[in-house]
Amino acid sequence: MIVRREIEERTGRNISIGAVYATLERLEAKGYVSSFTGKPTPERGGRAKRLFRVEAAGKRALQISEQTIRSMTAGLKDRWRTI
Amino acid sequence: MRGCLPPPFACWLLESVLPDPYREAILGDLIEEYMLRIESTSRFTASGWFWSQTCRSVHFMLWSSLRKGNCFIAMGVYIFMATLKFAADLLISKLVSPEQTTQIILAPIVFLTTAAIGGCVAAKIRRGATIFLALLVTITVAILIDLKVCAIPVPWWYPLGFLTLGPLAVIITPALFGRAKQQRVVR
Repeated sequence: MIVRREIEERTGRNISIGAVYATLERLEAKGYVSSFTGKPTPERGGRAKRLFRVEAAGKRALQISEQTIRSMTAGLKDRWRTI
Repeated sequence: MRGCLPPPFACWLLESVLPDPYREAILGDLIEEYMLRIESTSRFTASGWFWSQTCRSVHFMLWSSLRKGNCFIAMGVYIFMATLKFAADLLISKLVSPEQTTQIILAPIVFLTTAAIGGCVAAKIRRGATIFLALLVTITVAILIDLKVCAIPVPWWYPLGFLTLGPLAVIITPALFGRAKQQRVVR
């Protein structure tokens, strides 16, 4: 729920819970994140929470992605006027 | 408190479609957020949000389920169901009556029983497979209606019954058995 809300707040787009879990499932299969089941709570209708943790491989992949995005957008700010 | 609960049919749909490892988590997340929304908005708006999340999540989960090989499980169970139906039809024609009228009268009972058994078997192997099995049953019945395999004229609702009740039997029977089992555990 927190992941979905964070994406919604940052992007301003309405994200479905299914899309979030489908993505997290793929990331888990690749070994980028790991998950474990929390304790069931009454406010969740007695259902357990799934908690995710970013693994070392995930952190590396994230750093590479960030570097790629940075290098792709480098100098874009100065060129806005000419585009 | 009951008024604060999310739409039961949406919950049931998600319970039937969601794959095992994330079923609890997704439903729990949705119920938790629904409870938060109902405090700040109306019940109608919160229910609308719950339904939109359900509809938009189902296809992601179906795709995920497909990649996990649930369709192959469904196909295996489908072959088992076809064998069961063939054996039942053979027994009816040998033991009861070979006449087609008898077969037409008994066909819905045989078909729905087979569909219910198939649904339970698929759910026992993997819950996400039931939705694919229901889809296979719908396609088969639709093809058979189109081919007009029934030689004797039947009323319009007869094939329609097969088309609607067959897939429903596949999905609902394991859900009903699951609920009964849960109630037994609670007691």
